[in-house]
Amino acid sequence: MTTTAQLPLSRTLVKPFYFNTSAHLLRITTQKANTLAELLDALRVCPDDSIFKHTFRTLQELHFLREGFSNDFAHWALTACNEPGLAEQLASVDVREFTSLGELRERFVQIVDKHLQLNPADGQRMAEETFYFCASDTVVMPTKFVAETLQDFVKGLREVSVHSIHHHFIEARLRIKLMSNDFSQWLHEDVGLTDTARALNRIDIYTVTLEDVRKQMLRIVERALT
Amino acid sequence: MKSQAATNTQSPSPLSEAQPIDQPVLSAQPTPLRPERRTTPRTWETPPAPVPPPHFDDYQAIVGTAELDELRFLASEVKGKTVKMVNSTAVGGGVAEMLNRLVPLLGELEVTTHWDVITGGNDFFEVTKAFHNALHGSEYQLTRSAQEIFLAYNEQNRQRMQFPEDMVVIHDPQPAALIGARKDSPGRWVWRCHIDLSSPNPQVWGFLRPFIEQFDASIFSSQSFARQLPIPQYLFYPCIDPLSEKNKELDESFVQKICDEFGIDRSRPIVTQVSRFDRLKDPVGVVQAFKLARKYVDCQLILAGGGASDDPEGALVLKEVKEVAGDDPDIIILDLPPWCALEINALQRASTIVVQKSIKEGFGLTVTEALWKGKPTIAGAVGGIPNQIIHKLTGMLVHSVEGCAYQIRYLLTHPDFAAQLGRNGREHVKENFLMTTNVRRWLLLLRILLGVGAPSRTPFN
Repeated sequence: MTTTAQLPLSRTLVKPFYFNTSAHLLRITTQKANTLAELLDALRVCPDDSIFKHTFRTLQELHFLREGFSNDFAHWALTACNEPGLAEQLASVDVREFTSLGELRERFVQIVDKHLQLNPADGQRMAEETFYFCASDTVVMPTKFVAETLQDFVKGLREVSVHSIHHHFIEARLRIKLMSNDFSQWLHEDVGLTDTARALNRIDIYTVTLEDVRKQMLRIVERALT
Repeated sequence: MKSQAATNTQSPSPLSEAQPIDQPVLSAQPTPLRPERRTTPRTWETPPAPVPPPHFDDYQAIVGTAELDELRFLASEVKGKTVKMVNSTAVGGGVAEMLNRLVPLLGELEVTTHWDVITGGNDFFEVTKAFHNALHGSEYQLTRSAQEIFLAYNEQNRQRMQFPEDMVVIHDPQPAALIGARKDSPGRWVWRCHIDLSSPNPQVWGFLRPFIEQFDASIFSSQSFARQLPIPQYLFYPCIDPLSEKNKELDESFVQKICDEFGIDRSRPIVTQVSRFDRLKDPVGVVQAFKLARKYVDCQLILAGGGASDDPEGALVLKEVKEVAGDDPDIIILDLPPWCALEINALQRASTIVVQKSIKEGFGLTVTEALWKGKPTIAGAVGGIPNQIIHKLTGMLVHSVEGCAYQIRYLLTHPDFAAQLGRNGREHVKENFLMTTNVRRWLLLLRILLGVGAPSRTPFN
């Protein structure tokens, strides 16, 4: 590990960090479910964009919540199907354990399938509300923040939108196909702050708001600066 | 003291001007703490002059620099492109209100946006009003004559109008047949449906559907409002303008002044529903819920709305509400004219809890307004309300008078939980239901439909 003593803060780093962000436009797809059996069928065939929308994108839409909401499938199982056990299992799926939407989809399919095998009658019971599968069209765009030093990085981290935090910290693993995020990758590979990178990657996104995540990241990186 | 319906028939001056206070309504045992209530609160007799719309940079204080920078970037990619919005009314109604704000903001971002209003005779608007109700599910017998009137006025407008813009947006069913001009137009055509099409009258929908299917894309306000269509369907939630008279921050002194005007005691909890006197908003149910809740907690109820003066049905509902309210001095019924946005804003801000116990609802922008003001909100789980209120997280959803009563009691006795709901609700609106989010959606749609800028992508490629 490189220590901060060996890393002048103002030194230009080998590879700058470009803060990007993303914007999403929601589409309503043709899939919908009125029963858990229909949910299972739709989960198997819906586009990857839908899996993304109801997991990653929902987390971003509700970035201000600290508890009680993990993904749309779990929420529907609880509120529309009155299946708290199934809802708990669906809510326990941590999107950060997946580097592809195919794997993530498969996990949801497994959970619902297993529940219906054990409780076949649940499959045909009408839900109180329909689940409408939506999808997300995404546009990635640059921000004005480019970090050539750790100080720049802290400034960028402090000032970018929460959409940018979500883009680099949560969505990133689908892009880089690693159980990591853009910030940790840069700190590890280009700055040499491996412990800091690991500490960032351990932040629990499900028990805090995205603003809390930003604050935790700032504390961790600023600790490395001192 | 009897509950009173406030009217605006007596007072020509705005609230900001000093006025003598009328005598309070009769009260056998006036409580010293209770402010006097005017029989005719001072509201404008005629609508005040419109306030100039805010500028793009004015939103920085609300959503932050980073958010506006992102909008500027999106706009830079479609700079110089042109948009035409077409609807059926320039004033009144949510669509006109939204366009009044959206059009100048897009213009400031150098996306020139024209707004045209179709014209028609009374016969046309009678037909389109009937279509509107039928699309909401009302019984209706579609006649050949109605079809001919609809098509004739659409054709008349088509001949009058030109469509050289890059994107043409047709709002709601009234101008839908203008799609006939698409073949001579270079732009992409979008149908923006503001109404709930979940269970339309089959005849009317069967008549309109062939027109809708010719558009390049459609937009709905909620997933549950959409139909199965062969064209892409986008989800644009309705939005509120945080800088409008209805939603802007108010001085505490102004809020107090309005409460004094209406005889509202701010030292005690205030439960408020803002809505037209319409059975679908269940104002009688709100009074019943309030009376149940007040067995356990001290509070006052404000029912503030309108529609009773120009709508016979509304007057009937108001009468029913007054009957149910009886002579309860803690139920304050205000029949306000439609231009009392500042007063509504103040009443919402003075409230401890806001209720919207609708039985049927569109998107429910009064819920959005309450959430934006950080108010713990209890609302019926209908229409677009569940998009806004996530039960126990951003508000409380209810299905009955008893449920509403219980949640009033619960929130009034658990102020920390209520405050957290209020904070979450405001953040939910900030992220998803503000005018700036709406601008973002239009810019994204323009970019995607015109195929300009860097290719849009899924985040995993």
